[in-house]
Amino acid sequence: MSVRAPEAASRTAGRAAARRPRGRRRPGSGLASAGATVALIVIAGVVAEAGARGGWWAPDVLPAPSDILPATAQIVGSAEFWPDAVRTGMELVLSCVFGVAAGLLVGLGFWKAPGVGRVFEPYLVSFYAVPLVLFYPISIVLIGINQWSVIVLASVMTAIPMTLNTWMGLRAVPPVYLKLAASIRCSRAQTLFRVALPAAAPYVFAGLRLGVVYALIGTVAMEFTTAQAGLGYQIRYLYESFDAVGMYAYILVIVAISVLLTAVLEIAERLLMRRRNA
Amino acid sequence: MTGEDAPAGGVALADVRVEFAARDSDGPVVAVDGVTQEIPARGFVSVVGPSGCGKSTLLSVIAGLRTATSGKVEIGGRTVSGPDRDVGVMFQEDSTLPWKNVTDNVRFPLQIAHVSRTEQAERAQDAIDLVGLGGFERRYPAELSGGMRQRVALARTLAMRPSVLLMDEPFAALDQQTRLLLGAEVRRIWGETHQTVLFVTHDISEAILLSQQVWVMSYRPGTIIDVVDVDLPEDRDSAVVATPRFNELQNRIWESLRTESMRGFAQENQVRA
Repeated sequence: MSVRAPEAASRTAGRAAARRPRGRRRPGSGLASAGATVALIVIAGVVAEAGARGGWWAPDVLPAPSDILPATAQIVGSAEFWPDAVRTGMELVLSCVFGVAAGLLVGLGFWKAPGVGRVFEPYLVSFYAVPLVLFYPISIVLIGINQWSVIVLASVMTAIPMTLNTWMGLRAVPPVYLKLAASIRCSRAQTLFRVALPAAAPYVFAGLRLGVVYALIGTVAMEFTTAQAGLGYQIRYLYESFDAVGMYAYILVIVAISVLLTAVLEIAERLLMRRRNA
Repeated sequence: MTGEDAPAGGVALADVRVEFAARDSDGPVVAVDGVTQEIPARGFVSVVGPSGCGKSTLLSVIAGLRTATSGKVEIGGRTVSGPDRDVGVMFQEDSTLPWKNVTDNVRFPLQIAHVSRTEQAERAQDAIDLVGLGGFERRYPAELSGGMRQRVALARTLAMRPSVLLMDEPFAALDQQTRLLLGAEVRRIWGETHQTVLFVTHDISEAILLSQQVWVMSYRPGTIIDVVDVDLPEDRDSAVVATPRFNELQNRIWESLRTESMRGFAQENQVRA
């Protein structure tokens, strides 16, 4: 076939186009947003400081950051802090692990058996609206007042967004990917792990980010309401003993944990999805 | 692709019939009926027909992705009972996997087939060069145009070195220029590798330009209503479009298709009304 000349030309053009980096963020945009974040925190800190010192509000309502920060450092450095932190951390990690695993499995099951999925979907979706913390008394009756009742409820809270997103992601896999897998004779496991799940990964990741946040909310909220140990329990204890500075110190720790978790997931997602949606 | 020809494998269809369970109407829809045809080993056949006529269904049956209700499909003398790695399929939709770069996309079926690593690399590179994607090995699909992604899909199919290549309207979603260029590439590659090719399209001139024989398919039930041998020079280029013979072939195919397309159009509208 001798119609290759224009083709060669288009190839050169294509190659030139390929060298142009596409879809990269403008350099400096990350820096600008980091700068904006720092500026906001500084402004909020200054306002809080001025408010507390200037008597705009009672110091019990929101103590001055200059009191909270040293208190936080002191608490984190003290021996009493760590058993609670370790307990909350364990609950958080276990809830994430169980919830994510359960969500993946159930989402997968719904995908394999769409009829079952359609039956349960409305309940799962409405579970979003139910404050699951309400079930804490039930789980105490069933499991007892210990960390497992916290873990079970937090796992359920994690599993719900994970299930829905996994299922949605798998349903959104283009059918042609599955036809491809069939045509090259992928086994069922290969079709799942090397085609369907990677294709669903953006959804699964969104579910993971929601799920981890829910695990933290669930853990802290349930410690707060009934548990006898953990960071959430400490917040409640300090609140009830009118120790505003100590309470805010613990709140700061939990906010720091949630920021850290979100950042870690964000970075992991960026690395994994790096060039996929360039 | 490394100079040696793929092993020969002709395709033989004997009274192939495919039925679907219809959703709303009573009785099954007959998508394909009474297709008895043969593609000689290393032959290049195109199937043209109105949309919805069952040409893609026929291709899926040959690919082993769908089973015929009755009839028999043989490739290289063996009855088709499921997908075969010796039969490469290329789809109309973009099937490049967005989380893999070009090389990894092309290597994917080789990994699944447990080809050794060194051979994977070698075969992938050969296929990438063959489709003109040299220099793009580390690019991701999101960084490539639609036409380039179809090249990746073609390279991936070729890397398996199948003896039969089934192409289901592979360029239908592309613009006219890209389609012409890629058609020419397919023809050139076929000249080098000599697979048996079945090319499904709704574009009559694409079918004539590329193939040795054109099967014209009717609207439901899809039967082959005409078989046209393309007696144009083997070493043809797009200039052949201007020759009287090309026009005659085009007119003949269009004549058979016109009534079918109208019938299909009428039926589709009836269904909707």
